[in-house]
Amino acid sequence: MFNNLSSFVQKAQQLIDPNLLSSSTNNPSKSSLFRQQFRLPESQSPSQEILAELTLSRHGSTNSVDGSKEDRDRERSQGSRYSGRLFLSEHYMCFSTQGSSFVSTATFASSNSFNGETHGTGPASNGFTLPLSAVRRVERLPSQTNLFALAITTSNGFSSGRPKASDDELQKLTIQLLGSRQQCERFCDALKKGLRSGMKTTDNLRKVVSLCYSEYHLAEDSSKEHKEREPPDTGLGTLFKYPGDARKLRDKAKMRLWKEYLRESGRNACLVRQPTFHKLIRVGLPNRLRGEIWEMSSGSFYLRLQNPDLYTETLAKHSGKPSLAIDEIEKDLNRSLPEYPAYQSEEGIGRLRRVLTAYSWTNEEVGYCQAMNIVVAAILIYMSEEQAFFLLNVLCEQLVPGYYSTTMYGTLLDQKVFESLVEKTMPILWDHLQKSDVQLSVVSLPWFLSLYINSMPLIFAFRVLDVFFLEGPKVLFQMGLAILRINGEELLDAHDDGAFISVLKTYFSRLDESAHPKSENPKLRAVTRFQELMVVAFKEFAGITQQTISDQRAKHKDAVLNNIEHFTKRTSIRNLGPESKKLSANDLGFLYDRFYGVLYDRQQRKLLIEQENDRRAKAGRAKISDIMPQMSDDNAIEVGRVALGSSDTQMDYDAFREFLAGIAPWSLSDNPASPWDKEKQQSYFGNSMRNRSVSLTPWGSGPEPDDHEFMRRLFRQWDSEHQKYLTLQNLVAGFSHVKGTRDIMSNIAYFFDLYDDDGDGKIDRDGILKMSEAFLFLGRKGLDIPELQSSSGTPKKSESTVVLSKDEQFLSAVSSFIKRAFEYADPDSQMNMTMKRQNTADNVTKSMDQFAIGDDDEDDLVDLEESKPVSPVKLKSTAAEAEGEVVKLPPVPSEDKPHTHAANAALDPAKPLFISLPTFRMVILADEVLESFFDTGFANTFLLADSPIPSSASAMASLTTFTNLGRASPATVAQHPGIILPPTKGLRGMLDNIVNDGMRVAHEVRRRMEDAQRELDRASAAGASPDEEDDDDHDEHDEKMSSHMDPDRRSVLSTDRDLLETAEAEGVDSGSGRANSVRGTSLLDEPIGEKKEGEQSAKVVEFER
Amino acid sequence: MADASQGSAPKPSSSVKLVLLGEAAVGKSSLVMRFVNNDFQENKEPTIGAAFLTQKCPLPTRTIKFEIWDTAGQERFASLAPMYYRNASAALVVYDITKPSSLTKAQHWVAELQRQASPGIVIALVGNKLDLATPSTSPEGADEAAEDENDDDEADARKVPTKTAKAYADEDGLLFFETSAKTGENVAEVFTAIANAIPETQLKGTRGSAAARAQEESRVNLSAGRDTMGAKEGCAC
Ligand SMILES: Nc1nc2c(ncn2[C@@H]2O[C@H](COP(=O)(O)OP(=O)(O)OP(=O)(O)O)[C@@H](O)[C@H]2O)c(=O)[nH]1
Ligand SMILES: [Mg+2]
Repeated sequence: MFNNLSSFVQKAQQLIDPNLLSSSTNNPSKSSLFRQQFRLPESQSPSQEILAELTLSRHGSTNSVDGSKEDRDRERSQGSRYSGRLFLSEHYMCFSTQGSSFVSTATFASSNSFNGETHGTGPASNGFTLPLSAVRRVERLPSQTNLFALAITTSNGFSSGRPKASDDELQKLTIQLLGSRQQCERFCDALKKGLRSGMKTTDNLRKVVSLCYSEYHLAEDSSKEHKEREPPDTGLGTLFKYPGDARKLRDKAKMRLWKEYLRESGRNACLVRQPTFHKLIRVGLPNRLRGEIWEMSSGSFYLRLQNPDLYTETLAKHSGKPSLAIDEIEKDLNRSLPEYPAYQSEEGIGRLRRVLTAYSWTNEEVGYCQAMNIVVAAILIYMSEEQAFFLLNVLCEQLVPGYYSTTMYGTLLDQKVFESLVEKTMPILWDHLQKSDVQLSVVSLPWFLSLYINSMPLIFAFRVLDVFFLEGPKVLFQMGLAILRINGEELLDAHDDGAFISVLKTYFSRLDESAHPKSENPKLRAVTRFQELMVVAFKEFAGITQQTISDQRAKHKDAVLNNIEHFTKRTSIRNLGPESKKLSANDLGFLYDRFYGVLYDRQQRKLLIEQENDRRAKAGRAKISDIMPQMSDDNAIEVGRVALGSSDTQMDYDAFREFLAGIAPWSLSDNPASPWDKEKQQSYFGNSMRNRSVSLTPWGSGPEPDDHEFMRRLFRQWDSEHQKYLTLQNLVAGFSHVKGTRDIMSNIAYFFDLYDDDGDGKIDRDGILKMSEAFLFLGRKGLDIPELQSSSGTPKKSESTVVLSKDEQFLSAVSSFIKRAFEYADPDSQMNMTMKRQNTADNVTKSMDQFAIGDDDEDDLVDLEESKPVSPVKLKSTAAEAEGEVVKLPPVPSEDKPHTHAANAALDPAKPLFISLPTFRMVILADEVLESFFDTGFANTFLLADSPIPSSASAMASLTTFTNLGRASPATVAQHPGIILPPTKGLRGMLDNIVNDGMRVAHEVRRRMEDAQRELDRASAAGASPDEEDDDDHDEHDEKMSSHMDPDRRSVLSTDRDLLETAEAEGVDSGSGRANSVRGTSLLDEPIGEKKEGEQSAKVVEFER
Repeated sequence: MADASQGSAPKPSSSVKLVLLGEAAVGKSSLVMRFVNNDFQENKEPTIGAAFLTQKCPLPTRTIKFEIWDTAGQERFASLAPMYYRNASAALVVYDITKPSSLTKAQHWVAELQRQASPGIVIALVGNKLDLATPSTSPEGADEAAEDENDDDEADARKVPTKTAKAYADEDGLLFFETSAKTGENVAEVFTAIANAIPETQLKGTRGSAAARAQEESRVNLSAGRDTMGAKEGCAC
C-alpha cells in the first residue's frame, strides 16, 4: 500500500503541474516527430539538418547549376527547384519543403509544423526520403558563388535487371546547402560517414527494389531481357482482376502519367515528391502501381527495406504454433470480402491467412482484431503478401494506433474526437443528433475501423485509402465530416438510428452517380458524388489537420481510457467465476486494482530500467545525438495501462510477493536488501526524464517483500493450473478461500491442504514444523502496529502491554500446537520403513533446519553440523544469522552451552509420524488463540478494501453499485488506497485516497488495540495469562535474547506429556513481558528469547541426541 | 431507444429495440438475415462494430417494428456493446451449440445485460446452428446424444446439450430457443416470443401523430400474438 501511496503522490504531482505533462510525457520527442514526418522506422533519428535548395536535373541534362541561364529559368518555371531543409539520419537523407526543424533549439511548433495544413502533400511534402544505400555518388560542385553545392547521383534504375543504366537514365539531384561553411562541412562529414555505412545495406535495397513494379515497368522499353522477367507481384488483382472497370477508371491513362512522372522524378527508393505526385494520388492510383505508392507514401517501404526478410522469417519461426489469434483469424478467413473472387479461392485465403498470422506474431499484444481481415483482404488485392505485411505494421502502429488493440481504445478515442469535430463544424446537425438520441458513433465507428472499406463500394474506398496513406489519419475524419455535411439536410429529417443509417446507406450506394444530375452545365453534371465528396472533404475541411486531431485526442484521452478501464474492471470482476461471489464487491474491486496496479508498476519499472540501460549504452556509443536531444519515448508512461490493452495479465511469484507486500504486513521483509527509500520515488515523473536516477530496486518505491516458504506455498496452491503464474481469477479464487468464508472448519482444512504436499491427507513431522513456523511467520508482525505505520522505518520504542500480551499468547499457542500435534500424531508405518534407512541425525538436522528457516537453504546445514547439540532453537538462530535475517538484533551468541536433551519420542526421526486433518482440527480447536486465528485472525491479516472483520454475507448484493468503486467515501474509513488504476481518477480522488490511507492506518491501529484489549480481557477472565508486568527492561533482555531462545524452543519441542497441562500457562508465561524484541525481527527468535533462563531449564525437557 | 422509432412508417406500430450479442461467428448476423430477408449466406463478413436493421411484424392488432442492432462478437468489441444495448428492451444472446465456450460467453453477456441494460429487458438465449446437430433427435432426446460426443458416422457436432442450456435459461428466467439460421428452423419463433414477452408498458408508439395511436395499440391484449406469428412469412416483409 505504500507503493500505492507513493504512486498516487506521483500521479497527483503530475496532474498538478501541467507543464510537467507537456514537457516530458505528452509531447512527442523531436526524433519521433522527425520519423513521423518522413514516415521512417523507429531506428532513425535526425542527426543533421541544414537549409538547402534542391534542383532536379532534367532527364539527360547534367547538373543545372552549371547549365545555361535558359536551362535554369526553364526549370524554375517548371517548379523543379525547391527550397527547404535537408536532414540526415542514420540511414536516410531527407528533404522537405515543409519547413519543420528538429534541432534542439527548435520550438515544438516548428518541429511539429508538418502536422499543420499540408495542402494535400502529406506531412513529408515535396522532397525526398532517400535511403543512403541508394546514393551512388556525391560530388561537390565547383560553383561560382562560393556556396556548397552537392550533386547526388542515385541508384535510380540500377536494379532493373541491367548491369548498367544508361547515362541518360541517371538521376541527379543537385543540392545547395545554405548555411555557414562550418555547418556545411559538418553536414558533409556526417553524410560521408552515413554513406559508408549505407554501403552495407545495398543488398537489402536491391532485394526490395526488385519487387517494385515501377522498376519492372520503367525498364520495359529499354531492356531487351525484360520480356523474360516475371513481373513482380502486384497483388491478387493481377490474378483475379482488379475491382472496377479499368476503362472507366482510366487506368491506362493514369499509368502513362505515372510512368512519365517516375521517369522524371525517380522511382521507388529514389522517388522525389513533386506537386504532381500528390495530384496523381488524389485522382486515384492505377491498379498496378497502387500497392507500391501506398508503400512509399505510408513509409512501409522503409520498414521493409530495414528488414526485407522479416515476413518470411516470422512465418517460418512460428510455423505450426497455435494461438488464440490464429483461431480468431481462421474464423474470419472465409468472411473477408467474400464477393471478391480471390477470397473464394485457396490462393486468396492463403495469402490472407499468412499475412494476418504473421502480423499477429509480430504484435502479440494486438494479435488479431476483426476488421483487420477486411483491411488486409483489401490491400492484398494490390500488394504482395510482404508489402501487405509491412503496410499492416505501419497501419496498426503508426497510422491508426490502438484501433485494433484488445481494448480498441484508439477506435473509441477517435469516435470521441469525431463527435467533437462534428459538434464544432456542424452544430445544427449535432443538436439534432442529440435531440433524436442518435449516437453518431454507431454509424461512424465502422467507417474508421475498416477505413471505409466496408462502407463504400470498393473502388471508392481505395481512392480514400490512396489519400489516407499519403496524408494520414486526418483523412478519415475529413471524409466522415464531408459525408455528414453533404447529407446534412436529409439527416436533419431523420429522427432515429434507423432513418439515419438508411440515409447514409443510400448515399454510399450512389457514389458513382452525378452530383448535379440536373445541372445545365455538362461539366458539372459529369462530377460524381464521390468527386464531390473528395472536394468537400479536402477543401471545405482543409482546416482539419493532423494537429487538430492530436489536440482533440489529447483532450479526450483520459476520459476514454478511464471509461474503458471502468468497463473492463466491471466486466472482469463480474466474470471471475463462482468463487468470487464469496468476496464483497469492494474487496473484488480492490483486488482487481491491486492486481493490475502491481503488474503495471512492475512493467513500468522494467521499462524504465531498460530505457536507462539503453540510454547508458547509447551515451557510450556514437555521438549520433550531437545536436539532437534523445528523449524517451512518448508513451512510455502509459505502457501497461489496462485501457491500452498492453497490460500484463499474469502475476508471477515475484509480482505476487509484491502484491502481498501491499496488503499483508507479515509478507514484508524484516531485512530489506535495499531499504525503501523515499527519495527514489520522486524521480520517475520528475521534470527531466534524462535526469531521473533510475535507482530502481526490484520493488520500486514499495517496501520489499519477504520470501517465506509460506508465501511460496500459497502461490503454488493458488496457481491451480500450475502455470507458474496467477491470473486475476486465480488470485480471487485464492482469496475467496482465505477470506471469503467464515467457516472455521473449512479454514482449517484449507490450511491443512496447504501443507499436505502430496494430497494424501497426512502431514508429516516436517510439515508440522513448517506449519508452526508459518504460524509464527504470519503472527510475527501481527501486533506490530507502529512498525506498520511508520513507513519510514523508525520503530517506536514504547509499546503497550496489551499488544505484547497478544503476541505472547500467540507464541504460546504455537508452542502448544507443536507439542499437541506431535502428541496426537499417528505413527506412520509406511514412512518408518524408508526413514530407518536414513541417517538419524541428518534427518533431524534437516527437519530442524527447515523448521528454523523455512526455506531450504543448504548453506545452513554446514553450520548446523558444526554446532553439535542441535536444538531447534539453536538451529534457528544460527541459520537466521547465516542468512542475515536477524538484522535489528545483536548477533546471536553462538557459545550456547550444549544442553542435554531428554528423549522425545515424537521427535525421534526413527519413528515417522503424521497428523491427519481431524487431528489437526482437534489440535487447533483445543487452543483458543489458534481457534480465533483460524476463525478470523488469518483472514484479517490480509487487508483488503473491506474492514478487517470479515462479513461473509455482504458479498454480491452490492455489485451493481460498482460505479462508486474506487472513490473512497469518508464513511468507509477502512477503505484502502489500493486503486492504482485508473491512475487518473482526478486529483480529488487521489488526495482523498491519501487522506484515507492515513485514516485507515489510524483505524487499523485502533482496531488492533481493541483486539488486543479484548484478547487481554478474555485471557485475564480465564486467568490464563498471569503476568503482564515485566514489560519494562527489555533492553537488557535484548542482548541475552539468543540464549533465551533455546530453552524456550526446547520447551516447545518437549515430549514430556506431563508438561502438556502446564504448557499453555507456560507459554503465556514465557511469552509475557517481552517488548522490543518482538518487533521487526525474525520470527522465531525474539519472542521466545524473552524467557528467563532459569525458569526455562527447569521446565524443559530436551531430547537426546 | 425503445421509445424512439422511425418517422416514416405509414402504419401505427410499436418499436422494439433489440440487440444481438454473442461470441464471434455464432451466427448473429445470419439469424438477423434469416429473419429480415429470409436468406442465408454461407460466408457472412464479420460484423464491424454493429449493423442496424429493421423488420416489421404485423400482429392481428398492431405491428411490432424490431429495430435490430446486430453487434460484433469478438471479445475486444465487448467494450462497444453498451453503446448498442443502451435502451434496448430485448436482447438475443446467441451461442453456437457446437461450441461450449460460446455458451459461457453468452452467460457473461446475460450477466452484463441483467446488471447494465435497461431493467426489465427481455432476454432470449438462443443456441444456433441446430442444423449441425443430429437431425433425428428431438431437442429433449438430444441431451443424451450429445453427451457421448460424435462417435457415430452421423457425426453429431453438438457439444452443448439442450438440457444444460435450458436449465441455465430457466434459472435466469430467459426465453430459450435452439435455431438454425441456415434452415430457418425456429428463427421466426424467437422473435415472436420476444414480441410477446415484452411487457406492454415497454411498448411505445411512433413519434409525432402516430404516437398516440400506437400507444393505444400497444395496450391491446397481445395474447393472440404467438400463434399468428408462428409462420415465418408472418414476419418477413
Ligand atoms: N451450419 C450453420 N452455419 C451457420 C448458421 N448460422 C451461421 N452460420 C455460419 O457461421 C458463420 C458466422 O456467421 P455470422 O452470422 O457471420 O456470425 P456472427 O455471430 O454475426 O459473427 P460476428 O459478426 O463475427 O460476431 C458463417 O459462416 C455462417 O455461414 C447456422 O444456423 N448453421
Ligand atoms: Mg455478425
